[in-house]
Amino acid sequence: MTLTSLTFFAFVLACIIVYYIVPAKFRWLVLLAASLAFYGMICLRYCPFILFTAFSTWAGALWMGREIEKRGLEFRSHKAEWDVTQKKEHKHGTMIRKRLILLLVLVLNFGILAVLKYYDVAAGLLGSWFHTEVQSLGILLPLGISFYTFQAMGYMIDVYWEKTVPEKNPAKFLLFVTFFPQIVQGPIGVYNDLAHQLYQGHKLDYENIKHGFQLILWGLFKKLVIADRLVIALDHLLPLKHDLSNASNLLLLVIYCIQLYMDFSGGIDIVRGVAQMMGVEMALNFKRPFFSRSLAGFWQRWHISLCSWLKNYLFYPMAVSRAFLRFGNRICSLERSERELPEDSLWGGYTFLQHLGRVLPGCLATLITFFIIGIWHGASWKDAGYGIWNGVLIALAGFLDPLFQWLLRKLNIRTEAVSWKIWQILRTSALIGLSFAFDIADGFRDSLSLIWKCLTPAGGPVSHLGTEIDSGLTIQNWILAGICLLIVFAVSLYQEITGKSVRSGLEKQNLWLQWVLMLGCFAAIIVFGMYGPGVASGEFVYMQF
Amino acid sequence: MEKFIEQLKKIKKGVDFEHETSLIDGGFLKSFDVIQIIGMIDREYGISVPPSQIIPDNFNSAKAMWDMMDRLEN
Repeated sequence: MTLTSLTFFAFVLACIIVYYIVPAKFRWLVLLAASLAFYGMICLRYCPFILFTAFSTWAGALWMGREIEKRGLEFRSHKAEWDVTQKKEHKHGTMIRKRLILLLVLVLNFGILAVLKYYDVAAGLLGSWFHTEVQSLGILLPLGISFYTFQAMGYMIDVYWEKTVPEKNPAKFLLFVTFFPQIVQGPIGVYNDLAHQLYQGHKLDYENIKHGFQLILWGLFKKLVIADRLVIALDHLLPLKHDLSNASNLLLLVIYCIQLYMDFSGGIDIVRGVAQMMGVEMALNFKRPFFSRSLAGFWQRWHISLCSWLKNYLFYPMAVSRAFLRFGNRICSLERSERELPEDSLWGGYTFLQHLGRVLPGCLATLITFFIIGIWHGASWKDAGYGIWNGVLIALAGFLDPLFQWLLRKLNIRTEAVSWKIWQILRTSALIGLSFAFDIADGFRDSLSLIWKCLTPAGGPVSHLGTEIDSGLTIQNWILAGICLLIVFAVSLYQEITGKSVRSGLEKQNLWLQWVLMLGCFAAIIVFGMYGPGVASGEFVYMQF
Repeated sequence: MEKFIEQLKKIKKGVDFEHETSLIDGGFLKSFDVIQIIGMIDREYGISVPPSQIIPDNFNSAKAMWDMMDRLEN
């Protein structure tokens, strides 16, 4: 049951009807039943994994909450009689207890994820090193394991940080972990933002239904009309990439970027639309990423929920840890010179060593975070390469920032000019596009070779797309995909420039026109969507995570 | 506080730390800047900012940062 199948929408319709029929205080139970049924229908045999994560996290958080409460009470009752050392020792004891519980839950759940995701690769590697055969686990990844594990562990860390009060009801927590629209490909929810929306019974609201429907239509348009059309060409061309000219390989990479973005963001729109119809507003996962002016900015607009998770729970804790800060401070202290440098000097008023010490914690944390993003995408060197590519470029940009600012001043470049902004957008898109070479190549070396081909478009074999090699799509289909992409681009440009959604403009029109446009969009999806006999709707790329 | 604002200005030039109240929400400070500010607070004031305190509300203005430091110190 994919997010674009009729079965899925029949399921959603039934769920919405039942949701609004039952009394408000039982509505969360409808969501829970629907979520468990959805998961069971797709992968019943993997249910124990998600149930284990939900219950181990629920129990761990509750245990931690009770420890915090118990130790807090103890502290308050002895506060007057204890001296500073005793108070410090008590606080330290509480922290150690909390840390042990957190560690236990994290190791258990990330352990399962790591074993399921990387065991087969590790077994293969060990086998080849020791010339022996290590049996594979022989099981697929449970649906949404990365998404629900990250979501549950985020909650656990929030309880540890005392940002969240532990949920006492295991059934309610199970709903938070299994909520069915998001289980397929995210977005990864934050407990304080999402849980209360799931637990409260929302009233039937016309605006929510309409906005949800609009989001679903937009998502279906991106997925069925554009992404699933382009995936036919990709399926056809990717196996032939070594026979293509360098320029055609560059074009192939561009098509891949567009297909991936339309596929993933379209799926997220469907998920958010379905949730909104039941009154649940899910976090944004994409914010026009290809309008980003820097690589770091791109990662604040692409797969936002994952990046925000990694930033809050991995990048910051690492970068501001004692070890990282002390390392940076040690480098700063290597500087013997005490002379004051002007603000507009090469390293922004600091000496090279002082600057290095200040930015090194951030640079190291960036490299490690992106390496993890890389291997999250897959257990291979090319996936690690994808992470390293992004990590190195972002860390370098952070490190060299004062130098770039100095250069911009010396060259008298007006950074507020539109032309400069367009250049930044094109440069960022090019760097992102090249990074996807790690996705479509057959291995790490092949990725580098593909990047080189794209950087030297004049070389390579002379076979070109559309002339010597059949792309798998007719010219009419290419034109249609192009027109639809222009529509998406125009909508994104409007949002980017005005900061308003097209939906808000639509709201000002007469009701009949709004529905005519929506039904027109629906009809366009029916007519131009890639499905029907002989064309199976492609699975969402991010379903496999 | 004045000295603190001067130190912030040295980390991120061209930002109105005296008046701006949406340093994070308005995109004036990025993650790299936040880490440098936390490093500076650690070096210059001997206050460790735990990751749980790295939320927009604590970094949206110089005063919010100053208040956070005050809370952490006490």
